[in-house]
Amino acid sequence: MSDSGMGAFWANLKALPRTFLGSFVRHGAPTSHRARSQSVFSNVFLHIHATRVHPHSLRLTTTWGLGVSLVAQFLILTVTGILLMVYYNPGLDQAYASMKDIHYVVPAGRLIRNIHRWAAHMMVFCVILHMTRVFYTSAYKAPREFNWVLGMGLFVLTLALSFSGYLLPWDQLAYWAIVIGANIAASPNEVIHAIGLPEAFNIGDIVRRILLGANHVGQDALLRFYLLHVIVLPIAMVFIIAAHIWRIRKDGGLARPGGTPSPAGKGAGSMTPAAQPPSAAPSKTYGLMCLVKGRSPCTGQDPDETVPAWPALLRAELFVFMLNMLICLVLGVFFDAPLREIANPGVPENPAKAPWYFLGLQEMVSYSALIGGVVVPTLAVIGLALIPYLDREAEPAGLWFSGARGKVVTFWSMVVGAILAVLSVAIPVNYGWLRNWFPDIPQLVIIAINPGSLVTLAYMAWSLIVIARTKSTRLGAVALFSCFLVGFVILTYVGTYLRGPNWDFYWRQSDWPIH
Amino acid sequence: MPSASPDSLDRRVKWGLLLASLATVALLIYSVLAECVWPQWRMLRAQYAQILKAKATDDRGRALAEQFEATIQQNVLPALHTVDRCITCHPAVDDPRMAGEKQPFRTHPGDFLRLHQPDTYGCTACHAGQGRATEQAAAHGDVEFWPSPMIPARYAYAGCGSCHTHVLVPSQAVLRRGRDAIARYGCLACHTLDGGGVKLPGVAGAAGPDLSQVGATGYDAGWYEKHVARAANADGGNGPSLRPIGEPARADLSRFLASRVGAPSLVEAKALFHSLGCRGCHKVNGVGGKEGPDLSRVGEKDPGRMDFTHVPGEPTLANWLAEHFRRPAAVVPGSQMPVLGLTEEQIDGLTLYMLSLRHSSIPETYQPKDRIRAERFGEREFATDGETLYSTFCAACHGASGQGMRYPGLPVSPAIASPDFLAVAADAFIAHTVQHGRPGRRMPAWGEKEGGLRPQEIQAIVAYLRSMSGLAAPEPDRQPARWVKGDTTAGNSLFATYCASCHGATGQGAEGPALNNTVLLASASDTYLTETIRRGRRGTVMAGFEKPSTVHPALTPSEIESIVSYIRTWETP
Amino acid sequence: MSGRLDPDPISRRDFLGLAGLWTAGAAILGSLVAMARLPVPRVLPEASTRFRAGSPLAFPAGTTTLLPERQVRIVSTDRGIAAMSLVCTHLGCIVGEAPNGFACPCHGSKFDAQGRVIGGPAPRPLRWLHVSQAADGALVVDTAREVSPDVFFQPMNVG
Repeated sequence: MSDSGMGAFWANLKALPRTFLGSFVRHGAPTSHRARSQSVFSNVFLHIHATRVHPHSLRLTTTWGLGVSLVAQFLILTVTGILLMVYYNPGLDQAYASMKDIHYVVPAGRLIRNIHRWAAHMMVFCVILHMTRVFYTSAYKAPREFNWVLGMGLFVLTLALSFSGYLLPWDQLAYWAIVIGANIAASPNEVIHAIGLPEAFNIGDIVRRILLGANHVGQDALLRFYLLHVIVLPIAMVFIIAAHIWRIRKDGGLARPGGTPSPAGKGAGSMTPAAQPPSAAPSKTYGLMCLVKGRSPCTGQDPDETVPAWPALLRAELFVFMLNMLICLVLGVFFDAPLREIANPGVPENPAKAPWYFLGLQEMVSYSALIGGVVVPTLAVIGLALIPYLDREAEPAGLWFSGARGKVVTFWSMVVGAILAVLSVAIPVNYGWLRNWFPDIPQLVIIAINPGSLVTLAYMAWSLIVIARTKSTRLGAVALFSCFLVGFVILTYVGTYLRGPNWDFYWRQSDWPIH
Repeated sequence: MPSASPDSLDRRVKWGLLLASLATVALLIYSVLAECVWPQWRMLRAQYAQILKAKATDDRGRALAEQFEATIQQNVLPALHTVDRCITCHPAVDDPRMAGEKQPFRTHPGDFLRLHQPDTYGCTACHAGQGRATEQAAAHGDVEFWPSPMIPARYAYAGCGSCHTHVLVPSQAVLRRGRDAIARYGCLACHTLDGGGVKLPGVAGAAGPDLSQVGATGYDAGWYEKHVARAANADGGNGPSLRPIGEPARADLSRFLASRVGAPSLVEAKALFHSLGCRGCHKVNGVGGKEGPDLSRVGEKDPGRMDFTHVPGEPTLANWLAEHFRRPAAVVPGSQMPVLGLTEEQIDGLTLYMLSLRHSSIPETYQPKDRIRAERFGEREFATDGETLYSTFCAACHGASGQGMRYPGLPVSPAIASPDFLAVAADAFIAHTVQHGRPGRRMPAWGEKEGGLRPQEIQAIVAYLRSMSGLAAPEPDRQPARWVKGDTTAGNSLFATYCASCHGATGQGAEGPALNNTVLLASASDTYLTETIRRGRRGTVMAGFEKPSTVHPALTPSEIESIVSYIRTWETP
Repeated sequence: MSGRLDPDPISRRDFLGLAGLWTAGAAILGSLVAMARLPVPRVLPEASTRFRAGSPLAFPAGTTTLLPERQVRIVSTDRGIAAMSLVCTHLGCIVGEAPNGFACPCHGSKFDAQGRVIGGPAPRPLRWLHVSQAADGALVVDTAREVSPDVFFQPMNVG
């Protein structure tokens, strides 16, 4: 036995390079479409793609490459973030100094930090664009409802990641942005105080204490935000991204009008499990699926209409990735990420501004922290997440603005949304608000009735009017989304450019008084 | 939607990929060059390597040139939470051969580095600036968001104030007398001082120690007796020659020597501060008046947070301070600070002193002895002779020679060195006044523990006032404190006629001092009041009522007593 | 696209596609190299390995001086000045003085007064360090630079 055993051992040893490679590349060299498709199918990293895709999905105008951009940005952020962790030190005494060291002496440190900062901004920007794109092309509709919800989760996570990273440099900008943020989180106190409940009901204080580990932003807050930023949120993000991408494939690939002859034919866009005649749906689309009882979603991807994912899709993705890398590099090489004075708890920045994507909220927060900072954003996120469940109209997916009527509704909703948003700033700036008119007004009224809450209600009313007039829930959703989008843009603009020291209104930054 | 055929789409993606990748590669190469080839510090170090090579004439020079590395150099000082990379571009600070080179390659002037070695103190502890930065503008702090830019070279001595917060400095006049004494007694024949001093040739064995830092290092208190003894033992012209030095000159000398801490221009600037009476309104390190802002850390102010709209020139702290001394109310709208009419030289000195008020938090092991003595044991940072105390705390309002001052928009401050005043004011009265001030008026109560003066310091000020007027003591007063029993009704009408125009209808003070002040009425004796009215104050608008003048007739003693009695009615409101 | 399931050799003449692919590969590789450079520190967050031991006059010939905070022993002889490291050559503990020289508290290495191994696991003698002079004349010891035990530094221009 030992003889043949030794022989086998020798043979195995000699075959080692071949068998190792074979176990690693299971389908031979990727020189044929079949080998490539098998690779795409069986490789853990590639199998998030379908083996074949419809050319429509590759078109720029279908997605603007935003989803892939977001993945690319997340990758870039992960890699640069890990590199920054090599030198960053989340200690009160060292955090700021380590930023300076990263900037001045760490090899490639300045570039890596710049890229990390700019990529984070790009990611927030793209996540909003991505959501807008998905909304206007009706790509949230059945069976993609839950993927839209996952997307909302990713949207919130992206903001949370960006915001938690904001504190880490421990400079003035960071410190005061987090002070504001933490106090917004504590704003339910406003109501508790206003209606005179005992201190034990101060949910806000509890929330703030969980967030900061103290009553004030200090070492514990820095450590907690660090933990959130480098461990908790990224892990959550990775899992949800995986689910999000997985569901794209499982929900039948990208939504596209050509492949969805509505209503009875095949195609994912219009498919609802009940409406689909069982005979029309293929019983098996993917090899893996044969293990599972029941039908798989219909993809409507006839082989003859599609192109192999390798190379067309992979190359397009690589292109988008390189494009993002290029933009990050251009920003990183030529523009330094901001870093102000070391945090000084005694001297607030004036104006102390949150990061730009929260400035719309800060604008509303300037009337009521609870409504502007907690209620409206929470309602907006919940409302957005519920859109696919409230608008279940069957219609061609992948069509921008759902056709001509949708374009008209979008246009007028944006006009209405813009006017209301401008009014919500212009009226308080020019004429003051309730407290200026009725100095003795109860605090609860001030909390409840403020430009933020009124505009939100007006947007909702407008959307209901559109639903009633057009008899279409989709158009109502379009109206509401368009209003919120344009309102967000306008308030963000106001908060970024037109608000100066003491949150006073200024047309130009050059008019700011020196403080 | 423009639809493209899969093939043309494919081509576009391929071109896009190629171009994006090429641009990325190009940018990567650019950033490598920007980081590894072009930075200023690399070029400077390459330049310095050439200088080192050129100057390598001996073994040590060659070894230094050989060891020189083209990498970032730094002093890491964990105790100070400091990393200073200044020596990357200023590598010659400890190389005496480079005294003639241009910046940034020049030797550090003076022998500061002997006492403050860069590997113990770093650079920014004294010079400020951003030690971690490796680019000139950022390192010198000439950038946004760096609150402590470098102290300008011409004010470099201000850097000493970061740690040496309590250097003992007398007034300028005292300092000047000390310097005169040094010259008069020929001390510099043997000693050196502040880089000057001639060692007379031919005087064998006469080289005395350098006096530039004796205030910091300490010196033998019995130096005079020893000099005398040695002079007596010396044979002929060989020993130290010494003329007898009188007691007052020795006091001047010892105050002068105590201020020799190796920072002459800082001491000069602080002496100026102690001569203009600034502490009358401003606190420094806890001692001074409350009228103006506390100046203890004014040198650490962040220029990024200051208003430069009314300051011409560069937006630097030094410029702001200088302009503020020229036109206080124009730079800080609403400022109560009077225009002091300073010369440019004085403004420069005061600016230097203000910049030195930094008061860095430093670990105990780094704290200078005088700072510990002052902060722990309450030792003063001003000389406590009457002259220095007067000019430090009183001169701004009462004038350098006690002549009284009148700043536009502010009530007049009395001439307290007036012989008429000192003739009738008892020491206890003056001391009481200094101690309790004039509530409601600008005169603070200096006897308060917080920021005030100690009893013996107030005594010294009183004694100095006496010496200014040349009167050793007030005229003896045999009356009790209260003896006047005049007619208050008559006094009322007399006061309204003759006094109210200057002292206010209810004695609240206007042109003249307030008379209804409780502290004044509590401490002034009747004799003081009657005598003041009788004699007046020469040199002021207060003329004596004993004799008639163009605006009033002479008052009889009983009329004067009526006025005093009337004034006394304000004592109990 | 007919032969979807057949082995379908792909044209190798797709120059544009390959160029794009290779450039992208180069870009990614380049950034990886740049990133790999990052963890190699350019400056160390600790005091320099070169330290000033003071004026040569502080070490008259015939004396040895222990600098405990630097873990160095300065030996001054007629031939000049040398510095011996007190870091054990076995695993980096600090040796203490023993009757015959030095002994390491961690694993029992023993050295004689010249730093030669006389017992224990130490593989080599205690290290002698490079001594030089700064521009202002002060002695400079470099704990990162070893010299042979018979090298003595002769200070010059002392005063």
